Amino acid sequence: MDPRLDRSKGVNEAIAEPMPALTQAGKAETFEALYRRTLPRVYAYVAALLHDRATAEDVTALTYERAYRKRRGFSALRGTREAWIFGIARNAALDELRRRKRQAKLEVEPGDLAAPAIDDLADLTVKRETVRAALATLDARERELVALKFMAGLSNSEIARVIGVSESNVGTRLHRTVNKLREACDGRA
Amino acid sequence: MDERETTAVIDRTLAGDPLTTGYPAERELQELTLALSAERPAPDMVFVAELDERVREGFPRVRGNPFARVQGALAARSFGRPPMALMGGVASLLLALLLVVSLTSGSDDDPASTSIVGAGDNASGAREMARPGVDVGEPTPSRRFSRARMDDSISSPLAPVPPRRDGFAPGTRDRRIQRSASLTLAAPADELDSVAADITRITERHRGFVLSSSLTTGDEGATTGGDFELKIPAARLQPALADLAKLGQVRARTQSGEDVTAHFVTAGDRLEAARAERGNLLTRLEQATTDLEAESLRLQLDANAGEINRLHGRIRNLRISTDYATVGVVLEARNGDESAAPGDGLGGALDDALDSLGDSLELAIRILGVLIPLGALAAALAFAARALLRRRRESALS
Repeated sequence: MDPRLDRSKGVNEAIAEPMPALTQAGKAETFEALYRRTLPRVYAYVAALLHDRATAEDVTALTYERAYRKRRGFSALRGTREAWIFGIARNAALDELRRRKRQAKLEVEPGDLAAPAIDDLADLTVKRETVRAALATLDARERELVALKFMAGLSNSEIARVIGVSESNVGTRLHRTVNKLREACDGRA
Repeated sequence: MDERETTAVIDRTLAGDPLTTGYPAERELQELTLALSAERPAPDMVFVAELDERVREGFPRVRGNPFARVQGALAARSFGRPPMALMGGVASLLLALLLVVSLTSGSDDDPASTSIVGAGDNASGAREMARPGVDVGEPTPSRRFSRARMDDSISSPLAPVPPRRDGFAPGTRDRRIQRSASLTLAAPADELDSVAADITRITERHRGFVLSSSLTTGDEGATTGGDFELKIPAARLQPALADLAKLGQVRARTQSGEDVTAHFVTAGDRLEAARAERGNLLTRLEQATTDLEAESLRLQLDANAGEINRLHGRIRNLRISTDYATVGVVLEARNGDESAAPGDGLGGALDDALDSLGDSLELAIRILGVLIPLGALAAALAFAARALLRRRRESALS
C-alpha cells in the first residue's frame, strides 16, 4: 500500500474526529465541518483587520492550523466554537499587526456583490461610498467591532468572549458605533 | 432606539428577516446593516481550495526540515504566550519542597535537651540506646512524635559542652562532668527476681558496682519491686543503659549531666597554693630562732596540713563522681493487662497507625502552608502575565 495513501487516510480520520463539545443539535461536530462553516467569516474579519489580502490569507490559514492543533483543548465552558475560532483569529491578526507595526484601516476591498435588498445599482454605489466613508471615521476598536458583528456575524455574547469584555459592554459599544456610523452617513447625505 | 433594540434589529437583519417599512429609524439601521455586511471581503477561490486541501490532510508538518517543524510546533502553541501558569506551578512546587525539607530538618527539638521518659517503650527504646554512636539525648526523627506525648518528661542538658577558651579548663579532654541517669523498668511480677539479678550482673559486666539495692516484697512473700543505685564508669554509661533497658519495659528514663570542671580546677589550684604554703612554713620553721616562733609555725603547719587533706579529699570525690555515673533503677511489677509491649498486638498497631497519621497530617499541613500562598502567587503572576500579553496585543488596535 502506498504510504502516502495510508497517511492520508489517518489524517482524514483525524479531521473527521468529533471535537470534544457538542453542537446545539447535540451532535459532535468535526473540525472540517467547523472550518467550512466559519471560513468566509473568519477571512472577512481578518481581512477587515489587516486590509491586505495576502496577509489575511496567511493569517486565516495560520488560524485554522492553530485551531487544528489545539482542537482537543477546546472547552464549551469557555464559549462557543465561533468565539473560540475567532479568538484564535484575533490573536493571530493582532500579532501580525503588531509585528508589522502598522495600523489596519478598514478600507474594505470589493467584496461580495450579491448582497440582498439593494435594488438599484446607482443607489448601491452611492450607499457603498457613503458607508465606506463613514467606516473611515471609526477608530480601530470600533472598526473591529463592526467587522465582528456585520462581517463575521457573531452574537454579542460571542463578541464579548472574543474581545474579552462583558456582553452588555459589547451592546453599548455597538449602539454607540452604529449611531456614529449613522451620523457620518447622514452628514455625507 | 436603545442598545437592546439596536442589537435586536441588527441580529434580525443579519439573520435574513425582511426589511420593515413602518419605522424610519429601524429601516435606516436595517439598510446600514445590509450595507456593512455587503462590505464583507470574500476569500479568493484559489486560496480556499489550497486551504481545503491542507485541512483535508490535517495540516501535515513539513518533512525533512527540522527548523520548519520546530516553527510549526511553536506556531501551534498558544500564540507565543509563555506557559506562565505551568512555570509558576513548577517553581512553586520546587520552592515548597525546598521549604519543607528545610523545615523538617531545622525543626528538630533542642539538641541540648534530653527527655527520656517513655510510657513503656521497651523494644524501640532499647534498640535506640543500643545503637552505637547514638546519644540518648539526641532526638531522632522516628522518636520525635512519640516524645510529644510524654507528659512527665524531665529535660536536662547532656550535650557535650563546647570548649571555653576563657574558662577554667579549655579543651574537652579535661572537662569533668558528673553524669546521672535513672530508669524505671517494669517487668512481669514473676520475673522481678531474675531482673534484679540481671541488673547486678550488667552493672558488673560494665565494670561498675551496686552502691545500694533494695527489694520489696508483698503479702505473699513475692518480690513486688526494687530500687538500685549503681555506679557505672562514665565511659560505659550508654551501653550499660542500653543493656538495662532490655531487661523490661522502660516506663521512664532520665539523664542529666553537670559540668564540675570549675570546681575541680579551683580545688587543684588551691591544693598547689597550700603545698607552696607548706614549703614556705617548713623553711621558716628551720630558720626559727625562738621556741615561740617555732610553736606558732607548727600550728600554722597543722592547719595547712588539714587544708591539704581537705582539698585532696575534695579532688578525689570530684574525680570519683565524674569517673563514675550514678544510675538509679526503679523496678516495678507490670500488671497483667500490660503484658504486651506497646508495639505489639492490635493496640500497638493502632498506636502506630495513629502516630503515622499524625506525622502525615503534620507534613501535609506544612506543605499546604507553603503551597497555598505560593500557588496564589503563581496564579496572580499568571493572571498578570496574561493581562499584560493581552494589552500588548491590543496595543496594535490603539
